Amino acid sequence: MITGIIKNTGLFIFLLLLQILLMDNIEFSGYVNPYIYLLFIILLPVEIPAWLLLILSFFTGLSVDLFNGTPGMHASATTFAGFVRPYILRILAPRDGYDTGVLPVPGAYGWRWFLVYVILIVTIHHFALFYIEVFRLAYFFSTLLRVLLSSLFSIGFILIIQLLIVKR
Amino acid sequence: MRSLLNFLLRYQNIIILLLLEAAAFYLLANSTSYHNAKITNSLRGCETAMQEKVANFVEYFKLREINNTLSEENTRLRNTLERTYSNSEISFFAVNDSVQRQQYVYTQAYVVNQSLTKQKNFFTLNKGTSHGIDEGMAVVGPDGIAGVIVGVDKNFSVAMSLLNLDFRLSARFRKNGYFGSLNWKGLDRSLLSFDEIPHHLIVNIGDTIETSGFSALFPAGLMVGCVSGFDDKDGDFYNIDVKLATDFHNLNYIYIIGNLKRYEQVTLEESIEEIK
Repeated sequence: MITGIIKNTGLFIFLLLLQILLMDNIEFSGYVNPYIYLLFIILLPVEIPAWLLLILSFFTGLSVDLFNGTPGMHASATTFAGFVRPYILRILAPRDGYDTGVLPVPGAYGWRWFLVYVILIVTIHHFALFYIEVFRLAYFFSTLLRVLLSSLFSIGFILIIQLLIVKR
Repeated sequence: MRSLLNFLLRYQNIIILLLLEAAAFYLLANSTSYHNAKITNSLRGCETAMQEKVANFVEYFKLREINNTLSEENTRLRNTLERTYSNSEISFFAVNDSVQRQQYVYTQAYVVNQSLTKQKNFFTLNKGTSHGIDEGMAVVGPDGIAGVIVGVDKNFSVAMSLLNLDFRLSARFRKNGYFGSLNWKGLDRSLLSFDEIPHHLIVNIGDTIETSGFSALFPAGLMVGCVSGFDDKDGDFYNIDVKLATDFHNLNYIYIIGNLKRYEQVTLEESIEEIK
């Protein structure tokens, strides 16, 4: 339990620094910005209470907001992602349910399972994030394009980081 | 009471979600058009200091390019000097009272941090209130306009970039002075859209767009960009694309323009609003 908390705190700080110092300065073709801090929410234990997940999501988003100068934007999108995570996990549950104390990592149920899980959660988060950012329907399709492209890059980076963490 | 508690327990997640989302949207709504750039800037004081170091380092690699733009600008300015023109006023001695006539003050600054990938972009400059910078001052790069100061701190200021969905500016054609409104449509970082130009005007590709000076922010006649494409398909107005003169990827040294007579203009205009 304690080691879990320490590990997760370390992961949180690592991802936040990576997001602020590296990812926020990356730009592909003008409108793609990967958001990898979501990996923190993705990797929390399966059995975490829903209320704790929501609060952790909110504060994760808020800390990214503070450094991005966008109070509330990432917080609301990440809280939403934290809200849908239990439902996604329920849909993707193996036939005999999750084992106790299991982490949603590729090591537990395989890379295919993990990929579907990451794709669902990242796309939902990016949908919320980009539409909140623009906050008008006039740019519906250009925003949709940005959602899809950015999700693609975020998913790619998240998988790479996950690979590196596993290796270590 | 018991059923109320049961209800709360049953829907606790949705209730927490709604509360947190309400908090997030409260923050979002109360941070006005520029998302509280000012507060954030003071919050991340150490980050800004670090960014300045990083910017200093990156700048070193850009020196050649920066030198080029500066020398080009110098050439352009030398060409506008009085002594490059032959003097036609021979009969009178002209008194040039620069104190009375000066309306704009330029301050040099450089960009320490910049966002480009968002739909609402801002950049941070290394001058603040202690250098006389104030909200509402214009920011121009060596090639053309770049943004408007929206938040100031003691030593730093934050400017809203042209590449911001909330940015609006009055601009005009250099050739005939017809004016319209300039804004960014998102996505392409080299194109602005120029609206409110009626169909009866003749628009050509390559026409120069400059600031109109109506807003008391920018002096009139500053370069914005050139028309790169237009169509007259819908409505009464053209859809005009303007290719920006400023290259935001290579924005280092900029000038902040303060309007010495802005207060005068704004208070006069406001007093007339009251009469209306």
